[in-house]
Amino acid sequence: MRYESARLTGFSASGGEERRSGFDSSFFLLVLLLLTMGVVMVLSSSYARAYYDPGGITGGNAAYYFVRQLIFAALGVGAMLLASRLPMSFYRRYAFPFLALTLVLLMLVPVIGVKANGSRRWLGVGGLTVQPSELAKLAVILSFACLICRTRGRMKSFRYGILPFAGILAAIVGLLVLEPHFSASIIIIAIGGAMLFLGGAGLGWFAAAFGAAGTGLAVLLTFFPYASSRISTWLDPFSSSSDEGYQIVQSLYTIGSGGVSGLGLGGSRQKFLYLPEEHNDFIFSVACEELGFIGAALILVLFALLILRGYWIALHCRDRFSLLVCAGVTTLLAIQVFLNVAVVTNLVPCTGISLPFFSYGGTALLIQLGEMGIILSASRDLLERRK
Amino acid sequence: MPEKSKQDRPAAGPTMQMLRRCLFLMALCGVAAFLVLLARLYKLQIVDHTYYEQMAIRQQLREAPTSAARGVIYDSKMNALAVSASVDNVYLSPAEIQMYGEDKELIARELAEILELDYAEVLEKASRTDSWYVTVARKVERETADRVRAFKNEYGLRGVRLETDTKRYYPNSSLACHLIGFVGTDNVGLEGIEAQYDAALAGSAGRTVRATNAFGTDLLFSQFEEYYPGEDGYDLVTTLDSTIQFYIEKHLKQAVEDYDIQNGAGAIAMDVNTGAILAMASLGNYDLNHFLQVSPEDQAAADAAGSPEQAQALLSAAQTRQWRNKALSDTYEPGSTFKIITLSMALEEGAVGLNDSFYCPGSVNVIGRTSPIRCWKSGGHGSQNLTQAVQHSCNAAFVNIGQRVGAETFYKYCEAFGFLNLTGNPDENLTATTGIDLAGESGSIWWSENTFYAPKNLSQLAAASFGQTFTITPLQLITAVSACVNGGRLMQPYVVGKMLNPDGSVAYERQPKLVRQVISEETSRQVRSILEQVVGDPNEGTGRNAAVAGYRIGGKTGTSEKVSLEAQTGEKQYIVSFIGFAPADDPQIAVLIFLDTPSNASGIYVSGGQMAAPVVGRMMADILPYLGVEPKLSGEEAARMDASMPDVEGLTLSEAARQLEDSRLRWRTIGDGDTVTAQLPAQGVSLAAGTQVILYMGAEPSSELETVPDLAGMRYCDARDALSYYGIYIQTVSPVTDSGSQTVSGQSVAAGTRVGHGSVVEVTLVSGDESMLGKY
Repeated sequence: MRYESARLTGFSASGGEERRSGFDSSFFLLVLLLLTMGVVMVLSSSYARAYYDPGGITGGNAAYYFVRQLIFAALGVGAMLLASRLPMSFYRRYAFPFLALTLVLLMLVPVIGVKANGSRRWLGVGGLTVQPSELAKLAVILSFACLICRTRGRMKSFRYGILPFAGILAAIVGLLVLEPHFSASIIIIAIGGAMLFLGGAGLGWFAAAFGAAGTGLAVLLTFFPYASSRISTWLDPFSSSSDEGYQIVQSLYTIGSGGVSGLGLGGSRQKFLYLPEEHNDFIFSVACEELGFIGAALILVLFALLILRGYWIALHCRDRFSLLVCAGVTTLLAIQVFLNVAVVTNLVPCTGISLPFFSYGGTALLIQLGEMGIILSASRDLLERRK
Repeated sequence: MPEKSKQDRPAAGPTMQMLRRCLFLMALCGVAAFLVLLARLYKLQIVDHTYYEQMAIRQQLREAPTSAARGVIYDSKMNALAVSASVDNVYLSPAEIQMYGEDKELIARELAEILELDYAEVLEKASRTDSWYVTVARKVERETADRVRAFKNEYGLRGVRLETDTKRYYPNSSLACHLIGFVGTDNVGLEGIEAQYDAALAGSAGRTVRATNAFGTDLLFSQFEEYYPGEDGYDLVTTLDSTIQFYIEKHLKQAVEDYDIQNGAGAIAMDVNTGAILAMASLGNYDLNHFLQVSPEDQAAADAAGSPEQAQALLSAAQTRQWRNKALSDTYEPGSTFKIITLSMALEEGAVGLNDSFYCPGSVNVIGRTSPIRCWKSGGHGSQNLTQAVQHSCNAAFVNIGQRVGAETFYKYCEAFGFLNLTGNPDENLTATTGIDLAGESGSIWWSENTFYAPKNLSQLAAASFGQTFTITPLQLITAVSACVNGGRLMQPYVVGKMLNPDGSVAYERQPKLVRQVISEETSRQVRSILEQVVGDPNEGTGRNAAVAGYRIGGKTGTSEKVSLEAQTGEKQYIVSFIGFAPADDPQIAVLIFLDTPSNASGIYVSGGQMAAPVVGRMMADILPYLGVEPKLSGEEAARMDASMPDVEGLTLSEAARQLEDSRLRWRTIGDGDTVTAQLPAQGVSLAAGTQVILYMGAEPSSELETVPDLAGMRYCDARDALSYYGIYIQTVSPVTDSGSQTVSGQSVAAGTRVGHGSVVEVTLVSGDESMLGKY
């Protein structure tokens, strides 16, 4: 069975006593395809800003962002392949140490973190910057998967099924709020919730959580003008003079300009300093402008296929831990894609969420590709395909 | 299930619940979420595409007008009067100065030096870092702009920028300034032809539409740029003749100085047969290239003002004054020059005949007036025929002629001559304009029909007969008088004859426009003949001082009291004028000049005959030869006219003497040699007959300068001798009828000027006959 699978996929692990079968080539190719498109879009979207260099970063080098992203993409593919080699037992074994490390790093951020745009979210490591929040997402997935396997059968109880998980989430989110970093907090809460859902937590808890979240939101909107102004900006970005309003309006102009077939790759006009963060959070808007509805839909379909393949791998995992990790990482990917596109199309209020494989950002890309490597690792040991 | 073994649990297979929930997430995150996103994209990119695209394009596109070349204004001989040249506007982009860390102090220092600006001011502009466009200097000429460009390139400055603009140049500075007009900083015509023909000259600006980045500068590649070409303006060929304009201005300026004119002066030269304006002048004038600059006197007055507001008000008033085209915009009572009109209508109506007799007792009583109307000659002219009445400019005779014509007929002809338009409302004051193609024409002012026609009030008609109680523009007068002498055709005056396309082909050519035939050819001939005698008769003609030897000139003097001003100040002030035309038998050109308020202290009797007539004579003496009109001198005239200096160098004294006698010249000798070694003046110089020349018999001619004496009021022969004593010679274009009684009125070289031996001073002669002095 294993040999057949390896032959089918064409990838095989070499050496080692424990010969493992090849990983899932469809998933791998989808990742590479999206990554390639993402790097090309970084070049296309960033060169105007890099050339004019209003922030005085690039020194007028139009390829500045592209070259950096390309280097990290190459490193990331290496990291993905490396991660795909490590057995799932390795991830299970180091799930909690990794969580502990992440918590330490998160605690360091407020102390020695690099400050940008009023928030302290980055740790500087020899010229590179890392967002520990990116690591925290993975740490939540791994530690929850591990914990769920141990708690088996008692997931419905509050003491075993909720409390420990809630404790971990509270610690991480608490540290994130200090930075502050709300979008990461939301994603981590969402992914934590998804893990508990997979793990078999009672649906009543989810109903209660949504109720509490709704109430909390209402309280927030009533008593914090900042939050309510965000909502009004969301509802009518054109009437808002705030930065978010400007960003969203420019993003809508950018997306809407694309039409069916777009202005052609490299043809964006909005990237000429009209659209802020055009190679970061709003890179998908530029893709919409240049590639049109057809190109944007193609990107979304590729993401959808990747996500469906991720769940497919999860469903075929032999053990619970692998299933939970694969489903968790895939859900994380889906949440990020959905929230990013929903933000740039003004479906949800504006907040800073990057688009995996596309948005500029070296270490985040490295971590995301590493996560894909974990899924690939799990894909080496799947159940026989069902007819 | 091996629940007891902790190690085994994670390796256990997934439960059905897990698989179910995983499938649920798969459907939610892998399908449902993407359907939502695709629907949203469909809405934005396809349903609302046009709206967002429009909004995006609106912010991305910059429209830059591309200037169309403003047309050239030419005179009738294709000399350029107004041309446009390319210049640069210099501006700063302080935001980029900051962005690229450029040295704003260096920029301010260098620009201040090159553009001659204040350093602190430029530095302040360079510091407005939130701006991308701050103008530093407008319309910088090429050489200076090139220095700015060199500085910008030397330091690679992105914050210093230049853009092309156009500037109007007027090669002749002040010549015909009121006619040409000028443009403002935005290249829109503000005065004269520049204003009247602004649309034709300007053409239509094109525009470049291009996509720009958010800073408004170019995209990296010209991804979107469209050029909508403009159309260059037409070139205008005017009827103006720069040479005639030059003569007119030269002599008018001299008159203003000679007679100490208080309130400006104006002149018009018109092609009698077409109504084309050949020249139009108004003094004081100004330099079109610096149209804001006022005369030194006005500037001094403004500088001396108490407050800046006051100074600004004085400056504005002086500017408005100097820009005013008096020949077009000021109305005045024409006085005796209007008798030409009265004469023409009376002859046309048959109200008078050439042989009618008019008796002038010196004054005449008119119904509606408490005091009698006086003729300028207190003793009266006695009995005179029609020609003599005009020659004498006799008011009493013209009151009679006007009453023979009748008030209603008088107004009918005034309408026909273009002085007024009858409206049908008899209580309304009347007005009219000529409709010339120039901005700023004023309308005449006439009494209403009821006032003018009232049988109990003949004084209106009486005074109107000799040109008082109404006001008209000088342009209206010369247009009507041209009709009187050109065969009776009233032509519409105009200044632009042709419009040329940018390639030089004719886009539009104006044909002279006949407004109407006012009087018959025969009447016009009679009028010409009578007016020629006003100038040509050296004994009885009140216009005799306008005569030019060898030319047939007709004309009429005018001296009008500024009645309303007299009522205010109690001081008598006059506008003296003269209208002349030539050649009298086949008129080509008419010239009208008016001098507003001559000084009583100039030493010259204040009247049109003594002041304005000689000026027109001088103008005609320059203009007629230029127009190719040959002078015809009778033998007797020629004998009294200038002699030509022969070449006598190298001859013996007796040989030289014989030649000089033949040339009607006298001589004196300096030195005691046998032959003439040098002569003064040189061969070919024309001199007044009887002038004493100098023959050097071996002696060296003196190179000393001599001071020109004041000749005003001297008898011609005395002036001739006084000058020749210094080795300076006299010349005149006036006919020399009686060198003993004619006196000098104007001299071409001002008194007190230092000149070399052999220089020639041109003078104008006026009749010195005291009995002929009067306000006519």
